[in-house]
Amino acid sequence: MIEFQLDETSGVATYLQLVQQVHQALRMGMLEPGDQLPTAQQVVAKLAINPNTVHKAYRELERDGLARARPGLGTFITRSPSGTDPATQARFLTAMTDWLRSARSAGLGPDDIEAIYRTALRACFAEGAA
Amino acid sequence: MMTAAIEASGLGKAYRRAWALRDCTLVIPEGHVVGLVGPNGAGKTTLLRLATGMLAPTCGAITVLGQRPAAGLAQLARVGYVAQDTPAYARMRVADHLRLGAWLNPGWDDGLAQRRIAQVGLDPKQRAGSLSGGQRAQLALTLALAKRPELLLLDEPVAGLDPLARREFLRGLMEAVAEHGTSVVLSSHLVTDLERVCDYLIVLVASRVRIAGEVSELLASHHRLAGPRRAPGTLPAGQDVIEQSHTDKQSTLLVRTDEPIHDPAWTVTPVSTEELVLAYMNPANDIPARRPQLGVAS
Amino acid sequence: MIRLTWLQFRAQAVTAAAALAAFAVLLAATGPHLASLYAADGLDSCHGGSSCLSPASYFTGSLSQSPYGVLFLLSTGVILLAPAVIGLFWGAPLIARELETGTAALAWNQSITRTRWLAIKLTVIGLTAIAVTEALCLMQTWWAAPISQAVADGSGAGVAQSRFSQLNFATHGITPLGYAAFAFALGVTAGALIRRTIPAMAITLAIFTALQVAMPLWVRPHLAPPDHTVRPLTSLGGAGPSQTGPGGDIFTLYALNIPGQPGAWVLSSGAVNAAGQPVSTTPAACTSVGGTGVSAGAQGRAFPPGQGPGAFVDCLASHGIREAITYQPASRYWRFQLTETAIYLALALALAGYCFRRLSRLS
Repeated sequence: MIEFQLDETSGVATYLQLVQQVHQALRMGMLEPGDQLPTAQQVVAKLAINPNTVHKAYRELERDGLARARPGLGTFITRSPSGTDPATQARFLTAMTDWLRSARSAGLGPDDIEAIYRTALRACFAEGAA
Repeated sequence: MMTAAIEASGLGKAYRRAWALRDCTLVIPEGHVVGLVGPNGAGKTTLLRLATGMLAPTCGAITVLGQRPAAGLAQLARVGYVAQDTPAYARMRVADHLRLGAWLNPGWDDGLAQRRIAQVGLDPKQRAGSLSGGQRAQLALTLALAKRPELLLLDEPVAGLDPLARREFLRGLMEAVAEHGTSVVLSSHLVTDLERVCDYLIVLVASRVRIAGEVSELLASHHRLAGPRRAPGTLPAGQDVIEQSHTDKQSTLLVRTDEPIHDPAWTVTPVSTEELVLAYMNPANDIPARRPQLGVAS
Repeated sequence: MIRLTWLQFRAQAVTAAAALAAFAVLLAATGPHLASLYAADGLDSCHGGSSCLSPASYFTGSLSQSPYGVLFLLSTGVILLAPAVIGLFWGAPLIARELETGTAALAWNQSITRTRWLAIKLTVIGLTAIAVTEALCLMQTWWAAPISQAVADGSGAGVAQSRFSQLNFATHGITPLGYAAFAFALGVTAGALIRRTIPAMAITLAIFTALQVAMPLWVRPHLAPPDHTVRPLTSLGGAGPSQTGPGGDIFTLYALNIPGQPGAWVLSSGAVNAAGQPVSTTPAACTSVGGTGVSAGAQGRAFPPGQGPGAFVDCLASHGIREAITYQPASRYWRFQLTETAIYLALALALAGYCFRRLSRLS
């Protein structure tokens, strides 16, 4: 289970520090979907902070879709911060591999493919959430 | 609609020569850990003693959990109090203090009391007079917590303690809040401890309330502005200057405002809790008399 | 709360129990011997008749030089002091110490009102105070029964004191009960007002002592309207010239007791002439008769016939001088005891009531 730290001198609000530490742990692979986050009581016993701060941090994680509170059981990680669950990622990976193969057989090189990708990425996210 | 933990209106307390507390109008919500900050002699102890019913007001009114303080057995059972210097009966043993709690409180949780005493390492046979300050504070906290109050009032409980004892005390307090949802009002003149544990702040200076509100709202509505030197009268209305300092070239202001700051000449940075409290505690700062309590319609 | 009161009162209770035990042991050990001394002086066999007077006087007179006399005085002192000690050490710290040390914040923020807290403390400790003082009094009354009997037989010598005398009245019967209750309530009130233990103890001692001095001097004599009587001068009373004044010699009378009114409390006595007016100047004819003013009961001085205290008294009587006495009859003893105890109990209750009001309002 992840163990939270608190840096009092950083000027960052406590609840944000907790959120950031969860993001970091997910990125580093120390936390995985399905893992339970420490209960407010456990965090408070270690850090001597206001339990509302822990609840606020966990609510923020829930809003971001990273975690979910199950009443009576605890708060659990639902997915990694990349934004999707492994099944969806696998689907798009397959679609991308197929497209790359057909682009290659059409004669496009890596630089051409990268240029096409970047143009499309910019255009897609510029029009806002699709 | 939650009952307020403490509601004061026009509350004042005067002694022979001076007012210890004046014009105190507050609505302290339940379910928070409230920090009551101010310099020595500001009126923090007076406010807490008025809330416990150990003092009677000179003017105005105060209700605690919806009732008059110390109104009867039921009300006394809902409020716990740890006085300054965490008093204990010097010649009574730790175990005797727990018996005192059990005899005098119908809602006494003896299991909790015994667990806490063991957890903090107190010897039940030791007389309270030979305990260290930190140990006595833990005993006083145990007595207040084992009563299972809805509201806990603490008057500078960590003032005389070393940093480790302070941390242990706050840890025990926060564990109780996490477990039972107790509302807490904690007075102190040490700001750094409060940042850790408080989510609601009241600043009391010279017997008056300077500011009161949720920490998140206070931090959201206060900003530090740095920019080329100018007179504060040139700020648009709706922005109150709490603190200002000027050099020949630069002005730095701490403002309170609900509106965004559009003027591009200012560099806007957030304010930390400590800076905010210090600004309000500084008697040299003239606090503009807008509604002192955020989030409360006047 | 009762258990808590005993817990906090433990040290004082142990001290009181030890003191009571020591007192009891001392009196129990010496009481039977005192009774045997009484019997040895022939007082058992005289059956309360007038022939008892002389052995009774001998008994009490000789006691005053023995360790028993010392013990009698000491035990009387203990009973006199007990209420003051109770007021100082049980009463004054009750509220004052809690306020001084800050433990009031602990005691009054449990689930118990201040009123109930005070009610139980006052009742438990107050009743204990009364019980302890009355126990001391009863023990000493039992021990000193031979002396009381000798007093009833008419003795006035040595340790004998009439029931109405200041020392005796305050240490027998039920008055110690009233003093204890009052001293305790006074201590608690002083503590509540002054909020510090030592000054409260001082004030309690001062006020209690003042009252204990004032009561027998100015209040007790008037608790019931006194009786008056005019008696012929007899040589059982005493009379003698006391000084020489411009109008002639002045004499005074000492009425020790009133014939036909044994055990009465003489409030005042004075000489009146045949017309009933007060007189204190020696008639000219008697100035040479007197000798110095000694009571008729003194022994060991020989006077020429027609001289001496007895002759002086006869001379005054022959001029129509009689004795006017103001007194309280012995039969009123228990009425006085009850009245005085009631006064002290009423004072104690009034003080306690004030404490409740003061505590529920604080400051």
